[in-house]
Amino acid sequence: MKIRVQGSGFGVQAVSVIIILLCLASNVYAHKVSIYAYAEDGMVFSEGYFADGSRSRNSRVEVVEAETGKKLLEGTTDDNGRFSFKIPGVASLRLILHAGMGHQNDYTLSREEITEAMEKGPEAGDQGPVVNRRETEDNPGVSVPPAAVPGVSPSEIEAVVEKAVDRKLRPVLRILLALKENSEKPGITEIIGGIGYIMGLMGTAMYFKSRKAK
Amino acid sequence: MHISEGVLSAPVLATGALLAAGGAALGLRKMDYERIPGVAVLSSAFFVASLIHVPAGPSNVHLVLNGLAGILLGWMAFPSILVALSLQAVLFQFGGITSLGVNTVIMAAPAVVSFYLFGPLIRRGHIMSILGGFGAGAAGIGIGSILVAAALVSTGESFAGVAKLIVAAHIPVMVIEGIITAFCVTFLKKVKPEILEVAK
Repeated sequence: MKIRVQGSGFGVQAVSVIIILLCLASNVYAHKVSIYAYAEDGMVFSEGYFADGSRSRNSRVEVVEAETGKKLLEGTTDDNGRFSFKIPGVASLRLILHAGMGHQNDYTLSREEITEAMEKGPEAGDQGPVVNRRETEDNPGVSVPPAAVPGVSPSEIEAVVEKAVDRKLRPVLRILLALKENSEKPGITEIIGGIGYIMGLMGTAMYFKSRKAK
Repeated sequence: MHISEGVLSAPVLATGALLAAGGAALGLRKMDYERIPGVAVLSSAFFVASLIHVPAGPSNVHLVLNGLAGILLGWMAFPSILVALSLQAVLFQFGGITSLGVNTVIMAAPAVVSFYLFGPLIRRGHIMSILGGFGAGAAGIGIGSILVAAALVSTGESFAGVAKLIVAAHIPVMVIEGIITAFCVTFLKKVKPEILEVAK
């Protein structure tokens, strides 16, 4: 069969390349690594993931002081891409994730977050095993400073409140994390937009070349 | 294959930027009016190709299509890939603005190499053009991974170690890209052979 295409010699090429890509692009995946971290109970919990949602396993995480760049410690992520460590001191911490082959990203925890997690740390220990705060996000609005309430001990109130809030917030947190991961995936808008830019550049280049030719 | 921001040292970044600028200038000189749409189309293909993920063990690899761009465009692959990479950096946060030059060299230099190595082959018989297409696709990735390793040496990693790791991770992509490039070349040869002839 002979196909005839008028105009630019690249008509067929364009169509064939685009068809091939569309067939393959059933799953839009990316090639970018991210790290997310939060501080709690005197510990820092971090998680590394690629833009397609898969975890960054066995990757080196370097912890440095954000202001000075001084290296404090380093470690590797586990099979779930997680890495946690005890807060080395009150300072703004930057976690740098090295996923190998030139992939790298970082996440900075502010001094306030660290300070708060340090303050809460020992208290949580005093309360015993009542509180399960493993999954809690470090949220300044949630932490209730122990106030003197007659009759009930402050730590008891805090424990109950924490537990309830934890339960309520867990699904919300999960949704937020999923949204965050999703927002880092390139969407159809970016893809079409990028192709549009290239076509625009092509038009501009052709316009100037055609003027020169005249 | 995209090196992120903040990984490489300033001299490596500067060298990459200079080489990329030189290559792009050379490519633009060769780009006459009739070639502009082709360069743009392959730029778009390259831009989208990086979103196609190939599962390869624990690592994350994707299509690049630089061999295809090279075999069809020659030196014009430099401006074509530079444009696509800039848009990937801005819109997808792949690579980065400072590492743009290095990344351009990593992907466009193998494209030019495959143009000279396999370009003559694809203008021969049927079997030869399939082999040439496959070779160009595979070499685009293979040489690219070696260049990534070379760039990473400056960060203190040993060349042999990184090179082995990166090349091993990209073997599946080399095969897939080889097949795709061979398919594109034979298809173009059948329906629009003059595209392959003009590439000089």
